[in-house]
Amino acid sequence: MGKWFKSGSPWIWMTGGAVSLSLIAVLGLLLLIAWRGLSYFWPATVYQWELQNQQGERSILIGEIYDVEEVPTERLVSAGHKFNEHPGDTVKRYLVKTGNREFVGLDFRWILATDIISREEPSDVAVLERTKNGNFYGYPIAVVEAGKRIDGEGVQEKLMQLIERSSDLTARALDLQKSDIGTINYELERLRLKERGYELDGDLTATRKQEIIDQTKQLNDDYLVLEKELFSLRDQAGRDAVIVKDMRGQDVTLKLDSIIDVSYTNRLSAIEKVGHWFVGVGRFLSDDPREANTEGGVFPAIFGTVFMVMLMAVIVTPFGVVAAIYLHEYAKKGPITKMIRIAVINLAGVPSIVYGVFGLGFFVYMVGGSLDQLFYPEALPAPTFGSPGVIWSALTLAILTLPVVIVSTEEGLSRIPSAVRQGSLALGATKAETLWRIVIPMASPAIMTGLILAVARAAGEVAPLMLVGVVKLAPTLPIDMNFPFVHLERKFMHLGFHIYDVGFQSPNVEAARPLVYATSFLLVSVIVALNLTAISVRNHLREKFRSLEH
Amino acid sequence: MIAIDSSVMNTPKIDLENLSQEQTALEIRDLNLSYGDKQALFNVSMKIPKKQVTAFIGPSGCGKSTLLRCINRMNDLVETCNIQGEILLHGQNIYDKKVDVAALRRNVGMVFQRPNPFPKSIYENVVYGLRLQGVNDRRKLDEAAERSLRGAAIWDEVKDRLHDNAFGLSGGQQQRLVIARAIAIEPEVLLLDEPTSALDPISTLTIEELISDLKSKYTVVIVTHNMQQAARVSDQTAFMYMGELIEYADTNTIFTTPTKRKTEDYITGRYG
Repeated sequence: MGKWFKSGSPWIWMTGGAVSLSLIAVLGLLLLIAWRGLSYFWPATVYQWELQNQQGERSILIGEIYDVEEVPTERLVSAGHKFNEHPGDTVKRYLVKTGNREFVGLDFRWILATDIISREEPSDVAVLERTKNGNFYGYPIAVVEAGKRIDGEGVQEKLMQLIERSSDLTARALDLQKSDIGTINYELERLRLKERGYELDGDLTATRKQEIIDQTKQLNDDYLVLEKELFSLRDQAGRDAVIVKDMRGQDVTLKLDSIIDVSYTNRLSAIEKVGHWFVGVGRFLSDDPREANTEGGVFPAIFGTVFMVMLMAVIVTPFGVVAAIYLHEYAKKGPITKMIRIAVINLAGVPSIVYGVFGLGFFVYMVGGSLDQLFYPEALPAPTFGSPGVIWSALTLAILTLPVVIVSTEEGLSRIPSAVRQGSLALGATKAETLWRIVIPMASPAIMTGLILAVARAAGEVAPLMLVGVVKLAPTLPIDMNFPFVHLERKFMHLGFHIYDVGFQSPNVEAARPLVYATSFLLVSVIVALNLTAISVRNHLREKFRSLEH
Repeated sequence: MIAIDSSVMNTPKIDLENLSQEQTALEIRDLNLSYGDKQALFNVSMKIPKKQVTAFIGPSGCGKSTLLRCINRMNDLVETCNIQGEILLHGQNIYDKKVDVAALRRNVGMVFQRPNPFPKSIYENVVYGLRLQGVNDRRKLDEAAERSLRGAAIWDEVKDRLHDNAFGLSGGQQQRLVIARAIAIEPEVLLLDEPTSALDPISTLTIEELISDLKSKYTVVIVTHNMQQAARVSDQTAFMYMGELIEYADTNTIFTTPTKRKTEDYITGRYG
């Protein structure tokens, strides 16, 4: 034993074990969120149960199995459940997603295995994904095309055909609303501000006023035309309906413009299910959220996260690099420099919410408020830059990540062999020229390392953002087709905040749970993607500026 | 080898004490240097003749590299360094306040102990000094690159891969590239600080041959701890010991009939 101890192998086992534990922890975490998140998009089998409760009442239930658990019989009995015969020590309990929210109150239900009389997988049951009120489960029995009811054989094909038509029209209506009508509204607002601006400056002449009135009138006329088109598109989209028999045995008429997709999931082959899965993932990535974020996609959140992080990177890199150059190259080595360096390093330890408070107080209210006074007096009292926005979030996170960039840049600068600097100086270069032409390019891999760490830190940060720019639902992206195209003052959505919002602020906990996993997995993927990009840039730079040491 | 020896022999002897103004490239007058409290050079005075190879020899820590680095003010980089005395280039003291250090260094090039190419292509390494001076005309740069690479006897080896990274070259090639880089800006004086100490014998030989060629155009000052090398390549040799210039004469005299006891001891290998 003592000999084994002396041989050093316990150390190898201990250190190796620590590494394996960390690896298992990381992989386990990733696997869990990936599995829970991604399986959400897999089309589940829809069952129809016949149930009989202990009082002998029979009922039909249609839905997907969401969760299964074993419950001790004792607990059920003490909760007031009565069993006619003893079911054993534990009873299986299923959580079923029944959908049809507006008809049954709750779209999730627990059922006990002891209540189940029979279970089948009917092939003609359909899952209707709707824009409101979640999924609907039932048997489509007829379609209504332009007021004419069609029953019988061809219902399914006809339904698919009509849904395609109506979703096409809905998409066109949405496009019209967002782009053309959105632009007109934006222009109207600009005109209003222009008028107010002239008024404030006291040079609202009659000709100018007339000009603005004319333009407003022109825009309003355009708007009326477009509005008519929009309404006609919406009418067209809402022309048809489907009649579905639900689990209560009643016929429910659903308008087709509220239906996104219909799938007979029990009829799908494995390959079709894979196709379905990809479509589901694609929609999740590209759609806007619906239903208080519990349905639909997360595209605005992805866009907001990536845009804000990139903006932050653009701000923090020059600042951090310049500060590091001063500290390392120009500042006299003395106690003051040492203190500044320690202060910078300690900045990294300040809790992020403190940066949020600082950002709100300094950037939003002081800087943003002053900007509004100076450049946007016509919009007051409505703030332009004086309220939380993506630029303030990026700036706040830039300050938060500044120490990381400074520290790694300084490390990079100190690793550059003095022989190379002297070589440049000996050729008649000044210190500044040497810095620009030799030192900074050679330090660029280290700068990239700093940036990678900064991005990783910033992309995962949520707390400060809640104070300086993130919202639950942003109506517009920070970039759009309206001049000046990039709107840095706008609020934005963020994946991290989206997770918090969906998971903890949503009224429908069960529906939100898989979305929390899916969004978490997405956030991790986005951060990994950002980092991999930065790492590949760094490796390229490293190759280019291989140093003399080897 | 024979070629070098004969070139040394053919050099006419010159009187180092009474060197005329035209023949002098550099004059060092009463130079004292200290790093903090520690004095490294004591009253060094010497005249370095134009278009000749002058070698500084002496045991480690004798101040020969320090003296060399004074000539293009590389010691300015050391914060604690304190220099008194004068070094005259064209009759102008280079430590005068009016002197532009960058301009001085363009005139007095330097090659270091270890090859220190920049992490750029071979071509960009050579034209670095010219680009600093604002030369961007492609033709001029190309011409200067070829001329300097030929001057450093490395043209034939690199002409087909001018745009490859300079780190791909061997140590000896890198050192010649660094010499090419130094002569691309046409300095008057070239300082070589133990240029072969990090190289293998064959590369050393190539560099030594190159040094003998260089003196037709440049004044070369070389620091070496290798006495054979000093004997092979230099016209004048200065022996330094403990920060003092002990003896300074033409190489033949130093190596055959030194006047000072310390010089003789060092040459004959009694210490060092």
